[in-house]
Amino acid sequence: MSRSAQASLSRLEEIAGGDHVSMNEAELRAREVCGVLPAVVVRPADADEIAETLRFAVAEKLAVVPMGGRTKLGIGSPPARYDIALDLSRMNRVLAYDPHDLTLGVEPGVRIQDLLGTLAEKNQFLPLVVPFLDRATVGGIVAANSSSPLRHAYGAVRDFCLGMEFVTGEGTRAKSGGRVVKNVTGYDLHKLLVGSLGTLAVITRVNFRTFPLLPAQGTFVATFRTAEEASEFCVTVSHSVLTPQIVEIADSGAAQFLYPADAAESITPRPWSVIHSVVGHSAVVNRHARELGRLAGEANAEEFQALDESGSVPLLTRIREFPQLVLNSAPSALIFRVNLVPSAIPSVLRRFRELASRAGFDFAALTRASGILCAAFAPPKGIETSSASSAQLVKEVLHFNALPEAGAQSMLEWCPAEVKRLAGDVWGPPRADLPLIRKLKNAFDPQDVLSPGRFAGGI
Amino acid sequence: MQPQLIRELEALLGPQAVLSSPEDLMLYEYDGSVELGAPRCIVFPTSAQDVSGIVRLANRYETPIVGRGAGTGLSGGAIARNGGIVIVFSRMNRILEIDEVNLRAVVQPGVVNLDLSRAVEHLGLFFAPDPSSQKSCTIGGNVSENSGGPHTLAYGVTTNHVTGLELVLTDGEIVRIGGRTIETSGYDLAGLLVGSEGTLALVTEITVRLMRKPEAVKTLLAVYDTLDDTTESVVEITVRAITPAACEMLDGFTLRAVEDYVHAGFPKDCAAVLLIEIEGLTEAVEAQAAEITDVCRQHRAREVRAAKNDQERALLWRGRKEAFGAMGRISPMYYVQDGVIPRTRLPETLRRIEEISRKYDLAIGNIFHAGDGNLHPLILFDERDRAQFARVVAAGGEIMRHCVEVGGALTGEHGIGMEKNELMPLIFTPDDLALMERVRAAFNPAGRLNPGKVLPMGKACGEIRVPPIPASAATRS
Repeated sequence: MSRSAQASLSRLEEIAGGDHVSMNEAELRAREVCGVLPAVVVRPADADEIAETLRFAVAEKLAVVPMGGRTKLGIGSPPARYDIALDLSRMNRVLAYDPHDLTLGVEPGVRIQDLLGTLAEKNQFLPLVVPFLDRATVGGIVAANSSSPLRHAYGAVRDFCLGMEFVTGEGTRAKSGGRVVKNVTGYDLHKLLVGSLGTLAVITRVNFRTFPLLPAQGTFVATFRTAEEASEFCVTVSHSVLTPQIVEIADSGAAQFLYPADAAESITPRPWSVIHSVVGHSAVVNRHARELGRLAGEANAEEFQALDESGSVPLLTRIREFPQLVLNSAPSALIFRVNLVPSAIPSVLRRFRELASRAGFDFAALTRASGILCAAFAPPKGIETSSASSAQLVKEVLHFNALPEAGAQSMLEWCPAEVKRLAGDVWGPPRADLPLIRKLKNAFDPQDVLSPGRFAGGI
Repeated sequence: MQPQLIRELEALLGPQAVLSSPEDLMLYEYDGSVELGAPRCIVFPTSAQDVSGIVRLANRYETPIVGRGAGTGLSGGAIARNGGIVIVFSRMNRILEIDEVNLRAVVQPGVVNLDLSRAVEHLGLFFAPDPSSQKSCTIGGNVSENSGGPHTLAYGVTTNHVTGLELVLTDGEIVRIGGRTIETSGYDLAGLLVGSEGTLALVTEITVRLMRKPEAVKTLLAVYDTLDDTTESVVEITVRAITPAACEMLDGFTLRAVEDYVHAGFPKDCAAVLLIEIEGLTEAVEAQAAEITDVCRQHRAREVRAAKNDQERALLWRGRKEAFGAMGRISPMYYVQDGVIPRTRLPETLRRIEEISRKYDLAIGNIFHAGDGNLHPLILFDERDRAQFARVVAAGGEIMRHCVEVGGALTGEHGIGMEKNELMPLIFTPDDLALMERVRAAFNPAGRLNPGKVLPMGKACGEIRVPPIPASAATRS
């Protein structure tokens, strides 16, 4: 802090109240970002306190990193500067829920699991079944644009977020969008905040549309010998009239996490498996059971299995928590989120597997068939792997993605801080739209107060 | 306009691609709204390089530029408010690629909306956004306005179907944003650009999602004797969380005009009808149709009937999609509003519109996307009666204010354009608008790209613009 720490502390205590400002060592350590510690933790109660904190930060040239459940802070580069950890966990109210309109307005600190519970009371849900469900908060999930298996049927945050309120890097409160389900009034600034990793503004309210829970559910697992067969099966289903809500492709590495030996359902881990989940009236689920089975047979599946509820619920939970399961088993794993077109799935997976095997890493991949891949590279158990070899692997994955023929784009979601430091850059070569990105950053946060250096291109 | 600029444009694009005679320019003074603006010159590029060259020339001559597709917009988005060059994309109308495996199409901006669906029909696919003007409006225009349509209730609006764009920026640079993948990491530039009404950049190529045609489609017509029963049915369908693909409402006044024109079989003696479409797997469609019929009957629908075949279904939809045209038969002019309200506020809102109709002594028809609360009151008038037209504008403003008061928005799909930019302060604070200004300036620093649109200019705060003369061709839709 540029001013004396004590004076800064007093001012922040004036803003947020003494109980909600802390320089306690353990509190600071809990909010480290990629190995960098803040000087102070501030827990604001509302948007006005956030605005005041940010205006203070501008005046004092302090850097602020907003956070909620702290499950996605591993994404991005280490902050170039980091003074204030802006902890939004106190802002955890549901501000407006109108189940009859199927719309919802919430503060950023609401935990996703709590929110799903509130919605379930009205037989509704949000398609945000994300990893670390019990800790993840709305603001973090939106800022990280976290992927949910339900993306296949319901789209991503951008598709069901109706509007937002936020505080810009200058400490100005602003909003865009609204609370109605169809709206083209003004620029969709809130879409920019989705996936912006806290570099543009601090989100203070998110409005969503909600969805009805449907009466019946079915989960089906088909196993295959090759990636091509598994992928081809998914393409066939996507071209059929069937309407699954979850379609995931697991490789043999992922199978170890999804089908543990002690699980209620017994699925023999095969090289490749495709999981479909269907909801609707029971006639709809039954129809899927029949036709998915038939299509799987035609696609040369080794096995096709319909799971009952006792098997389905834990499997879907493990799919949701796949990154967490990997990290529990291998805390230093490198986990990438990869965007790719469905036709590129087999070739990209093959290339990743080659890179892993050359580096002596285990590889596990869970792929949403619509084109989002969670790729985990883990040092094998019991073998010491240096951070340097992990860093080299990060570079190779990013290098591969820079090739135009790769048809894929990767973002590093989890990675040890030391590996990041050695890799130097976690974003890969600059994209063509970087100059536009810079201009937008400058429009929202001209003083570079918010999460400086975390984003691509040093933003 | 400087003759030198015209000569340079002709040298760049060829004389066949530049229009500047007064009789040619007149054709581009209007769009589907009641607005008017005279361009100085019309150009027809055939490539992004052409567009880039035009932009560079316009910069040198400090001349405004406005992009235009088919000119079917309803808020004046494609009108050259400050004169200048209108770039018409009608010669950039090629479908560049159909990627069947990944369910994407890459198109130029001048491709007509319905032509894309026709081009992929044999593959069992379609492009979901379906504005009423889909036979003539272009996908570039849909991107600018973030267009909707009846079936967006289930499928979402244009922004939900665009994954990538090629842009020509205001400095003439050509840049790609997004791509073919379902997501792009980082700032969602495509999300910002779609719906920016041509004020941030010119779009020269669009990558869109294609959807699989559903197995079954069922179209229901529910007939009511009171407006309240009709709107309460819509509320109940929403409350029960039934999600039809489309849920359209036509009031009796509109219905009679439509029926005389289209002969779709709408009953002429009712207060209103709901046109409800359900799509999906046969099993799901049957279950939902039963639930919806149940809701309509409980709310005293006089009759609920299903279209027996595709022909009957097409006729009902023709009635809906050509309703604006039908209104043109009974009134010299109409002014179509586009407001959004939370769906549960529908009954009180329609009552309010009735009051406003009486208060201003104006005939107002209602034909709209009831399922997502997107109103389209059609206010009829005679353009020769200036006093009446002033009442039309006042009534439109009052309807808008009601929408805002009940928690709605100024426009659901037609855009702000030059029609409602001075109403923006009803929704947004000066700080909200200042940030939007900054974002516009980040892309369009000199303000030469589509000036006078979206954001207020501060001249007539909180008012709908009264055009100097209602455009003679404004009844198009």
